[in-house]
Amino acid sequence: MTIKSKVPVTILTGFLGSGKTTLLNKILSEEHGKRIAVIENEYGEVGIDQGLVINADEEVFEMSNGCICCTVRGDLIRVLGNLMKRRDKFDYVLVETTGLADPGPVAQTFFMDDEIRSEFSLDGIVTLVDAAHIDQQLGRSEESSEQVAFADVLVLNKTDLVSDESLDTLEARLRGMNRMARVVRSKQADVSVETVLNLGAFDLDQVLERRPSFLEPEYPFEWTGVFQLEPGRYEVSLEEGPDPMMSLVVVADQGTDEESLNEGAESCVRLYAESAELLHPGDKIPLNKHVNLQLQSKGRKSFSLEVEKSGHLGLFTQHTAEEFDIKVRRMDTSVSESGSNQQNDLLIPPIAERTWVAQHEHDDEVGSIAIERLGDVDPEKLNKWLGRLLSEKGVDIFRTKGFISYAGEPRRIVFQGVHMLFTSQPDREWGNEPRRNQLVFIGRNLDEEALQSGFDKCLT
Amino acid sequence: MPDIRELGPQGRGMLHEGWSTEVADYVIVCGWALEGNAFLVGDAAGGLYAFEGKSGTTLWHRKEVHEGGILAMSIHPDGHIFATAGQDGRVLIWKSKEGESNKALEIGKGWVEHLQWSPDGQFLAVVFSHYVYVFGADGKEHWRSDKHLSTVSAVAWSKSNELATACYGRVTFYDVIRDQVNQKLEWQGSLVSMVLSPDGDIVACGSQDNSVHFWRRSTAQDAEMTGYPGKPSQLAFDQTGMVLATGGGERITVWSFQGNGPEGTVPGELDLHIGAISSLAFSNRGSLLASGSRDGSVFVWLLQKNGHGEPLGGAFVGGRVEAIAWRPDDYALAAVNANGGINVWDFKNRTKSSPKGFS
Repeated sequence: MTIKSKVPVTILTGFLGSGKTTLLNKILSEEHGKRIAVIENEYGEVGIDQGLVINADEEVFEMSNGCICCTVRGDLIRVLGNLMKRRDKFDYVLVETTGLADPGPVAQTFFMDDEIRSEFSLDGIVTLVDAAHIDQQLGRSEESSEQVAFADVLVLNKTDLVSDESLDTLEARLRGMNRMARVVRSKQADVSVETVLNLGAFDLDQVLERRPSFLEPEYPFEWTGVFQLEPGRYEVSLEEGPDPMMSLVVVADQGTDEESLNEGAESCVRLYAESAELLHPGDKIPLNKHVNLQLQSKGRKSFSLEVEKSGHLGLFTQHTAEEFDIKVRRMDTSVSESGSNQQNDLLIPPIAERTWVAQHEHDDEVGSIAIERLGDVDPEKLNKWLGRLLSEKGVDIFRTKGFISYAGEPRRIVFQGVHMLFTSQPDREWGNEPRRNQLVFIGRNLDEEALQSGFDKCLT
Repeated sequence: MPDIRELGPQGRGMLHEGWSTEVADYVIVCGWALEGNAFLVGDAAGGLYAFEGKSGTTLWHRKEVHEGGILAMSIHPDGHIFATAGQDGRVLIWKSKEGESNKALEIGKGWVEHLQWSPDGQFLAVVFSHYVYVFGADGKEHWRSDKHLSTVSAVAWSKSNELATACYGRVTFYDVIRDQVNQKLEWQGSLVSMVLSPDGDIVACGSQDNSVHFWRRSTAQDAEMTGYPGKPSQLAFDQTGMVLATGGGERITVWSFQGNGPEGTVPGELDLHIGAISSLAFSNRGSLLASGSRDGSVFVWLLQKNGHGEPLGGAFVGGRVEAIAWRPDDYALAAVNANGGINVWDFKNRTKSSPKGFS
């Protein structure tokens, strides 16, 4: 018997028009020294130039037991079953799904079928997102949010068609739905092959190393703008936005570097925790206080702001500046020195901006929940809890990833799952590292408190 | 339990060293032609070979007959012609002796995954995606099925004019002469393999959800055998239709249709392979079962009517056993494997040696 390593497989998902075929063509035509077999499901798009390309109808097979985790892609089992017999002719497989595909069955195929599982390993799920249309698609179809939720890499494509601010907002929204995924921006699917192939995405260590901020805190505000203001009166005006009310905190002496922004954010969380004072259009915004701006009336609304000494003022807003078209203008220049008093001249742009991962962003049903705890867990309790959780809520939990510290086990235990299927295996030794646990759940309508308290009960 | 590696390629017990050879790539298909005088082999590189049945001498060799590789082969009942199909969407009909193809059928752009000659040799069933075509030996199309619910996963002839097809959720029996559906057997599951009992009454299918589903056509009764650790793609009925051997794990599970069985009975279990079963074949006469595994081992078993059995011999060939074939006279057994290896053993019932002597 010869011992062979498993052939890595990348799943490429994304709505029609998101640029999957462009990306595929690019990968196949680039000099990367890899022999790639492509299993393509979408007919009638641009032809693939070269490489081993197999067309297969997407065949989603449900089982008689009605269990969704047993649902697999029959065509993949067939095609891969034949491909593995000529595996010396390729060292990588790319599976392209149709725009409307649910990624669940594709991923499950690599867990459920014993033969496929022994020859192939799911390397990662890459989802292409059309930056100009994803907002509408997310609202209209479940498949679209599932594709985002399942992704290990989100390629935010066609960025040239959208403003930078909208991209930031969109990225924050996508991160709110899936905190595990790496987000890559591109214009014409022009991402490097390395961002798509050999991700080792199902290798958790890499995920964590690649993105240490993956457990980035969620704030009650989405945007911060820092403004350089001289003493005087200013107007903060807002257009109609997605909410008839918006929370805001204005702080003095806000720095513009990353560290100061993070510090400011943390102190603002405390201010946000206090009850808000309701302000109506025309009211003055106090400094260092949590306020709610009442925005019910039509058209642009203005609030005033007084600055006593020059400095950097930070605006921490519940929604992004773009959503409400938030503008800051100087108001007390009765006579302009240059003789021109056009309003545009008085507009003050922020000297620094930051978009944050927001809590319950856009109220998307799909979201991710991260649990991080120091200490050890009781393996038996954890298995019981996870087993029950996934059997009851597995339909709504798309992906589970994480590592756990078992009491008495010198190695980390790596967990990962797709719907109800999960595997756990020992990984590297803890060594001198502090024992801790990190688990991320991505799914629909997840109950964060229940998950946290359920996990806490498994701690020793 | 013997260490399977110690068995060696030359065989132990009633498997006696015959001949062996190697071809360029992973062997996909094999079979005996010309009354056992030729052994035919097709590989993943599209190579086709004929070896002399007794010595293993190469009779002929054709390269790249199907671009992308061979997927299926069916030898005509008379053994003088055979058909091959592949990833190039073509079916070729060959003369066994000369190794010449005089007919090429262009089926379409896609894979042709299954081929089966009818028992009287009049028709060749060809599976292409959601359709099944029936051609005559002359290469003329006689019949074409309607579109199946999914890609057709298996075909089998129940009679010379009746063809069974399996796909997701359904087995369908077609009268290919009168162009009508004789029977539909439905069940929600992905049927990955199918075998019919020799009298055509019992239909057994391996299912993706690690079960075997079977129906009795005469009574329309069906049953589901669950609990397999893997998917039972390998199924074989003995010539009497009394025992059904199934893979789906390291063990061979044998269901006996004796009495009211197999429902409610405990199956026989043949347990020597250490890897999952990858091929099963019953002898042409009697109840000798040959089994091959992903671990590279081959065993031969003598089965009783109740499904229990004893090993008669074994060998270790080193690569996943892809197919296994008894010579028409049952005095030789051939196995082909993933490393391109071909092993043929003489199988003789030597009255003086103990059948269990090898272990």
